[in-house]
Amino acid sequence: MTTSSTSSGRNAVNKPMELVDRYLQAVRFWLPNTHKQDDLIAELGEDLRSQIEDKEAELGHPLDAAGISEILKRCGMPMVVAGRLGPKRFLIGPTLYPVYAFVMKMVLLWILVPVFVFIIGPVNFANNGHDWGSAIGTTLGNLWAGLFIAGGIVTLVFVVLERTQAHVGGPMTCANWDPLKLPPVRKQARKTSLAQTVCELAFGVIGIMWLLLIPRYPVLILGPAAAFLKAAPLWHTVYVPILLLGLLGLLRAGIILARPQFTWFPPLGELVQGALTLILVNFLVHAAGQTPNGDWHPFVMVTDAARHSAQYVKAAAIVNVSIMLSLAGAWLGLSIALAINVWKLLRSFRKPSSSAGEPASLHA
Amino acid sequence: MPTSIDNPEIFENLRLELRRGCLSLAVLTQLRTERYGYTLRKALADDGLEIDESTLYPLLRRLETQGLLVSQWREEDKRNKRFYRLSPQGVEILGQLLSEWQKINSSLSKILQEA
Repeated sequence: MTTSSTSSGRNAVNKPMELVDRYLQAVRFWLPNTHKQDDLIAELGEDLRSQIEDKEAELGHPLDAAGISEILKRCGMPMVVAGRLGPKRFLIGPTLYPVYAFVMKMVLLWILVPVFVFIIGPVNFANNGHDWGSAIGTTLGNLWAGLFIAGGIVTLVFVVLERTQAHVGGPMTCANWDPLKLPPVRKQARKTSLAQTVCELAFGVIGIMWLLLIPRYPVLILGPAAAFLKAAPLWHTVYVPILLLGLLGLLRAGIILARPQFTWFPPLGELVQGALTLILVNFLVHAAGQTPNGDWHPFVMVTDAARHSAQYVKAAAIVNVSIMLSLAGAWLGLSIALAINVWKLLRSFRKPSSSAGEPASLHA
Repeated sequence: MPTSIDNPEIFENLRLELRRGCLSLAVLTQLRTERYGYTLRKALADDGLEIDESTLYPLLRRLETQGLLVSQWREEDKRNKRFYRLSPQGVEILGQLLSEWQKINSSLSKILQEA
């Protein structure tokens, strides 16, 4: 046996030069196993031996383990030296990396999260017997796994692209790009008031919290009338869509805040949200028009305890009519707003992209 | 505003950046005469340009892959050593690089004098 363990964790050295072999073995371990490995190790070994020889000639006696150890320490940790000696390796290179980051952001933030919030979440809610807690828990669990899987797949695709492009010369080569294909200069970002968007976000969050609390605390919407009125079954049907609309509003405000340069987004977002709200209001008005039993209490009903009080029944009728009138007014207002937004959006698409200060086209 | 004294990392990065191009030029120039790795490092160090093993050998590999150097394993003093020298293409490129270096050097001297 040439080595044995000591209490300090060091291995005993019988021949000082053996340290060089140990060092080279450690460097070899971290080097990629290619045909160049032996070459690199042989060359590094030769360099180290030359250094030792020079030092011995200078001192006039052979170096001991400590002296050799000093030279090896100066050379560097085997792992670090191997990292520098070996070829520079990366999974995704600098050419593809910006595209990779962009696609990753698109897939995770703008596709996966909305899919979970607007599709998987409601499905989980329905499958969990309308239990919010377990639905949110299941959705978050699924989302977490989904983020990892989607991230992994995107990375894998780009690693394959990187490898294939490196060998066959893909479309991203510098010679292939054409300045004429660059997108036109962006129009000046619309001056969407920051304060307005922040307020929209803040009140949106408060609104969502309020909506979430209503099923448990009806007093938050009915006030003192909660003592004798309760929500009609219709609200159970539209509760989740209303909540989703609120979340959509938050998302819209968030995007406007994070990406003010997306000048196309605010009118489009308004249009989509307006259209969805109109569909919901239309559904409410239509559903309220149905009177299956001849009783017309589509929005609020008198509680069982107060059912026999004519005064409360009359109050419920007044509230139902008021809500119906408000919804009709909202339907009219939303229809007008939607028509205006569609017109604005169409006008912005038709408008030529050139604006003041923008250089004229060089081509006839 | 942080200065290089506050942030030695900035200075170190710029220093390495400055050195990187110069090292290739220095190595090519030294290899007009055939040398093996250790003697090349020694020659550079003697002229004031220290370079460690893990920087020199990858640089030599790169220059050889680019066709600027040729190498050969040979026995000397009972040990195998890899000897490097400039290839004909390397001689040509070195000439162009040295002329570029002269231009940069004279421009920089001019700029420094004006400053």
